[in-house]
Amino acid sequence: MIDHCYDHVEAAKAEGRPIVGIMCEFTPREIILAAGAVPVCLCGGSAATIPAAEQFLPANLCPLIKSTFGYHVIGKNPFLNWADLVVAETTCDGKKKMFEMMSATKPMHVLELPQKADDADALEQWTREVRKFKEHLEQRFQTHITDEKLRDAARLMNRERRLRRQLAALLMRDRPPLTGRQLIEFKSIISGIEADLRQYERALEIFGSADQKPPTTNQQNKSLVRVLLTGVPIVHGAERVLELIENAGAVVVGMENCTGLKPILDDVDLDEPDPLHAIARKYYHLPCSVMTLNTRRFEMLRSLAATFRPQCVIELVWQACLTYDIESFHVRKLVEEELHLPYLKITTDYSPSDSARISARIEALFETIHARLQ
Amino acid sequence: MICAGIDAGSRSIKAVLFDTDRSHILASGLTDQSVEQERLAAELFEKLLKKAGLERSQISGVVATGYGRNAIRFADTTITEITCHARGVHRLVPDARTIIEIGGQDSKVISLEDGGHVRDFAMNDRCAAGTGRFLEMVAARLDMNWEKLAELARQSKKPALISNMCVVFAETEIIGLLADGKPLPDVVAGVQNSIATRVSALAGRFVSPPVYFTGGVALQAGMARALEEVLACTVRVAPQPQFTGALGAALSAGPANKAGDSGL
Repeated sequence: MIDHCYDHVEAAKAEGRPIVGIMCEFTPREIILAAGAVPVCLCGGSAATIPAAEQFLPANLCPLIKSTFGYHVIGKNPFLNWADLVVAETTCDGKKKMFEMMSATKPMHVLELPQKADDADALEQWTREVRKFKEHLEQRFQTHITDEKLRDAARLMNRERRLRRQLAALLMRDRPPLTGRQLIEFKSIISGIEADLRQYERALEIFGSADQKPPTTNQQNKSLVRVLLTGVPIVHGAERVLELIENAGAVVVGMENCTGLKPILDDVDLDEPDPLHAIARKYYHLPCSVMTLNTRRFEMLRSLAATFRPQCVIELVWQACLTYDIESFHVRKLVEEELHLPYLKITTDYSPSDSARISARIEALFETIHARLQ
Repeated sequence: MICAGIDAGSRSIKAVLFDTDRSHILASGLTDQSVEQERLAAELFEKLLKKAGLERSQISGVVATGYGRNAIRFADTTITEITCHARGVHRLVPDARTIIEIGGQDSKVISLEDGGHVRDFAMNDRCAAGTGRFLEMVAARLDMNWEKLAELARQSKKPALISNMCVVFAETEIIGLLADGKPLPDVVAGVQNSIATRVSALAGRFVSPPVYFTGGVALQAGMARALEEVLACTVRVAPQPQFTGALGAALSAGPANKAGDSGL
């Protein structure tokens, strides 16, 4: 959907609508939409831009941050070039310090994220932060964000989330009508585009129809393994590991990550009197590994395992993503001891040099699963 | 029924012909790995057939394993080296619960459950630390063969500490240690210990005895002892450690290819 995102932003620019770059699922898109602006995801998924970033950033940093910054250095991400404002957030330290460098040449607003998710005052603190963000946008773009505009934006985003949820839920079936790779292709880098929502509706009709006869076996006539993928986001261009998993004879039925189910399971409560507070609450409860304790993630994994019925859990960690890397200790424990499923952790970056080794590990995992079924 | 297993590793290609009816190895052999690995594997296969006095048509199945498995197109199917080593070692030593395999560019720790099924495994990722590549670098740098290295390591009284995990930087560190007058045996023993330490970090949570050591590096005297010290348990070298992968592949080509099937 990237081409059509390009057209959308170009048209929005021509109409004088501001473009706001975002890099995190904590950033409330509703506030940006209510300001009449277009929220565009800037996360980099290309290995090609990393060498440029490494002139300024340490090599031992997560590839998503380096790739994003690399685009900034070489000026090759049109959406970043178009952005009138970049919204940064204090999630991981790597992003936080990278944003400082980017802010030298890009207008930037930083959202501070309280990281003790269950503290009594944490949500109030975050709500204040979201309110400041709203005021910043009003001032910067000379607009007034009314409660009605917030509700309209939340309605639109709820509709988008619901459609994406319904599409993802098709993979709960015994014979999933589409692959995880196909599903992720539907994810747009811009939210709230009417054409995208219609495309989701069409996809739901096509893939959801009863006459779909999806394959259930691989070339060796073995049944496809159902995989629940967890861990770091897989942004556009960085789908390599997802492809390696499915090419080894599997369907990734669920993705518990920021480019998958994690941000779309909850909606904004439209009945709440203060829409800004409702929006803040929806976003705040995202189970990101920067949170401590991140018990909501484990609850989500339990629930996804029950509904998507995976035969194993694979965790993807981008190299040097400390929070996901360390938290994998708890995830493994949960998967093996509580869900009683095999667990495999893959730590890698955007370079394809280790693809053969990753494939060997994935294939060995699937061989073990098939051997147990025999 | 006679089956063949081919293990295309990073340093050598190994092959085994296995008679499933009489449950024994008819022939085994190896050749150095190079480009054109399919031709090398085919030549090795032919050589073994000749040795065993068999025709190609008498072989009912060929399974390829190892990092080059997909290049062996004359094989009927491919299976990963993790499953194959598990099957091979389990066939030779059915009591094995943990397998440590160190090859030319890989190191793996495989834990087995009853019946020889793989329960869990860990494998090195991008980095060659903790693999045979480390020993090869030292052998080349000191211009010595493996036997000589092992003999030197045995003489060590106080193994040197090699702190660099990266093979490339460790080479510089070793040169530095030798320049500082560290005795050669201590440096070589230090290299063995650093490989063992790396593998024990990989093994982490799941080393349950009996532990068997396989792969080309298991042939080097002293390595099993170095592993025993860091893992604090007995480590036995598996029989025919270079061939357990190829044997496991041959077993997988057989009629009942379930690991642990006593009919194999």
